[in-house]
Amino acid sequence: MTRAIRNYFVFLRRCARIAFVGDWRYYAWMGALTVICLLGLNAYARQFAQGLIVTGMSDEVSWGVYIANFTFLVGVAAAAVMMVIPVYIYNNEELHDLVIFGELLAVAAILMCLAFVTVDLGRPDRFWHLIPGIGQFNFPASMLSWDVIVLNGYLVLNVYICGYLLYCRYQKKKAAKWFYIPFVFIAIVWAISIHTVTAFLYVGLGGRPFWNSAIVGPRFLASAFTAGPALIILAMQVVRRVTASAPPAEASRAREGAAAPRQPSSRPATLADLELLACHLREMESVSGEVREGILSGATVLKAGAGDVLLRQGETEDRAFFVLEGRVVVKREEHGRFRITRSVGPGEQFGEISALAGSPRAATAVAEEPSLVLRLSADSLRRLMKNPRVNKIVRARMSERLMITDRALMTLRSIVQVSMLINVFLLLNEVFKEFYSGNLHVASSRYLYIGLHGHHALVPWIWTAIAFNLVAMVLLVLPVSRSLRWLNVTCVLCIVGIWIEKGMGLVVPGFIPTPLGEMVEYRPSLNETLVCFGIWAFGLLCYTVFLRMSVPILQGRLCKANEGQNGRGTGVTALGAAAEP
Amino acid sequence: MPAPDPNFNPDPAPADTGVTRRSFLRTSAVLTTGLAALAASLKPLLEMNDFPTAERFLQKYYKEMTPDDMAKVIRRIENEVERQYGIRPHVRDLKPMDGVEFVYCLNLTRCIGCRKCVHACVAENNPSRNPEIQYIRVLRLPHGSLDIEKAEHNYAPESVPEKGYFYMPVQCQQCKNPPCVKVCPVHATWQETDGITVIDYDWCIGCRYCEAACPYWARRFNFTKPSIPKERLNPEMSYLGNRPRRQGVMEKCHFCIQRTRAGRYPACLEVCPAGARKFGNILDPNSEVSYILKNKRVFIQLKEELGTSPRFFYYFDV
Repeated sequence: MTRAIRNYFVFLRRCARIAFVGDWRYYAWMGALTVICLLGLNAYARQFAQGLIVTGMSDEVSWGVYIANFTFLVGVAAAAVMMVIPVYIYNNEELHDLVIFGELLAVAAILMCLAFVTVDLGRPDRFWHLIPGIGQFNFPASMLSWDVIVLNGYLVLNVYICGYLLYCRYQKKKAAKWFYIPFVFIAIVWAISIHTVTAFLYVGLGGRPFWNSAIVGPRFLASAFTAGPALIILAMQVVRRVTASAPPAEASRAREGAAAPRQPSSRPATLADLELLACHLREMESVSGEVREGILSGATVLKAGAGDVLLRQGETEDRAFFVLEGRVVVKREEHGRFRITRSVGPGEQFGEISALAGSPRAATAVAEEPSLVLRLSADSLRRLMKNPRVNKIVRARMSERLMITDRALMTLRSIVQVSMLINVFLLLNEVFKEFYSGNLHVASSRYLYIGLHGHHALVPWIWTAIAFNLVAMVLLVLPVSRSLRWLNVTCVLCIVGIWIEKGMGLVVPGFIPTPLGEMVEYRPSLNETLVCFGIWAFGLLCYTVFLRMSVPILQGRLCKANEGQNGRGTGVTALGAAAEP
Repeated sequence: MPAPDPNFNPDPAPADTGVTRRSFLRTSAVLTTGLAALAASLKPLLEMNDFPTAERFLQKYYKEMTPDDMAKVIRRIENEVERQYGIRPHVRDLKPMDGVEFVYCLNLTRCIGCRKCVHACVAENNPSRNPEIQYIRVLRLPHGSLDIEKAEHNYAPESVPEKGYFYMPVQCQQCKNPPCVKVCPVHATWQETDGITVIDYDWCIGCRYCEAACPYWARRFNFTKPSIPKERLNPEMSYLGNRPRRQGVMEKCHFCIQRTRAGRYPACLEVCPAGARKFGNILDPNSEVSYILKNKRVFIQLKEELGTSPRFFYYFDV
């Protein structure tokens, strides 16, 4: 028991250390975020000392950009669920990693939400009045008390699920379904609840006709499921490009390998080697002795030391590999940088695609630690794959690896597509109801869309948002958004459009005109804006750290097996660690 | 193919320097810079002269205080006020009286829109003067319409009343079904048995949800530290009423709880030159308000359709 706890702390310590290690781009990015965070903190300290008077808010417009950002980010957090559902419907193992990225985004978004609510409080020192049991908790009457519960509950759920899956991955243990699947399903329902509750915060106010509309809840969900996955599509590409690239030390090692080829020693494979493979690849057990004999002709076993190159990007030869012992890293060179695409363990294959297709190698494979690798000819592989069970597992792994990221992005694209259509449809419903009936309560909408009594601060904003949404909708429907470049443009349009529509376009006009018919406009102050930037930087900082920790774990580079190796082989050997003894 | 320089070193120290020392120096330099930056960014907190003391931070919720607790807190408040304003106030915690439910009636035929009630209210209730907080807002409406969206807030004629208009003062309506109470996440505002919705100024967290919920725009927020000139302070105070508030909390009309629970009329009523304001106990069949509600033919509850059921009635002499 104590050992388990100690192991867990070692895990946490290693994760924490990784967060401080990276190349210069990482430091520059983190440094810039920290500076913005501190600027925000400074602005908040000023607000704490002088009161909310330093914001643009007033008794007339008593909520502003803080609550607008809060509302938007609750949606982003809720949208993590959209990553989870395809995984459990399509049961795609490899998408698990993306789910973790999505849920980590949810964690970062919830942290930002909590920060935005806190900075909006007039008396943050009295936060403890909100703690059930210690303070006075007006549950279930106040929707805000519901929000406290669902937001914190969602945070705990996601931290637990991510933490559990990552720790299992770290230990190279298969996650026990009972320990997380039930929570995943709770999280799905919970995600919908956090956003519905946030919508009810507004919907429940009878004195504010602009918000007091049943369609606000569905609109919130539709826009969340547009903006959230759009954000994930962008984040995943950044992860692909930046975070997954091998640090310079790693790249240099691979290059050294290229400069002075170290050939692994080889010997002919025996039946015992196939037996060893069957230990890790259960599907092998169903392969008959006769077939096994046949495969052995031309098969070799390579004994590779750490750093030995097993196959090289760009070469053409038709042999496939199965790892028997140890670990092999597959990396791709792109624009002069090496990107580790995956880490292959016992029972898993690499190089089979180019072997079967006869195409040049798409990546270089290097032994990460002393390893034993079985090398088969393409013919032997084909023969092996005549066995239906082996065929299934090998093909499944091939397709996952080949298509996974782009396919996942396309799945997300279709979610964004449908959600955006629904979102625009619901918006039209709302606009129709407001303007066609033309009753007294249309004042806020009139102010928002066309201006009222000479006040029209929000008009350019809302029309920008509508234009962005419509253009994004058209792009999403057209096949052009299947190309990543256009998809990214579309995603940016979705995010900005929905941020305006749902943040400023929903919160602020609800207050204008006041319930007594007075027109007082709202403009965020500089101080308020700085606080917002600070919180966004804080959220990005959190998300970057989460990714920094989880990517090496998911790639198998940070695991229990390499504990105590002081960064070697973990792929985190970079500037900081290199300076250590 | 160009690869990033594997020997890139951001710290070009001589090679013979000890690695340990170098990393130590670097770490301490980073830490010092970080702490200095953190301290610098928190500097505005130094300007604050009103940090909550432990006593204030841990102060109990109004309804959970024993009479002893309350006596202590009241003494502390009196000391604080004396220190700040140089006047020893008289703070009481007046409880609602049995068999009393307060109701306000306002005669729209008589109101001349002079705003004397607004200023009497400010003088009585110790709200901040800079920025000035007022509980009563007088609306000017064109004859023949009760559409509040046509109301003029900032009318400033030479003299009132003006031809073609009537005036409608709006303050907290002391609803029987108050949305503000429902939405408060921490029970910092509630309805007392005599119908007055009060606020525990030391419990409010300043989320302003009640301000968004109120259909009458009756609530006011202390966006900064309230400032009241010493000579304007009203030393006759009550805990749930007009004792001075702090930055970041909500306040609103409480039917002059410090007066009405001691058998006096609200300040706005006393000052009204037109006799438009009537106040009393609806449970007493002989009270003035009972007479009005029974005998006047037209009275309005503002935004009746919202179901808030105000204890504030507007009527006309017809």
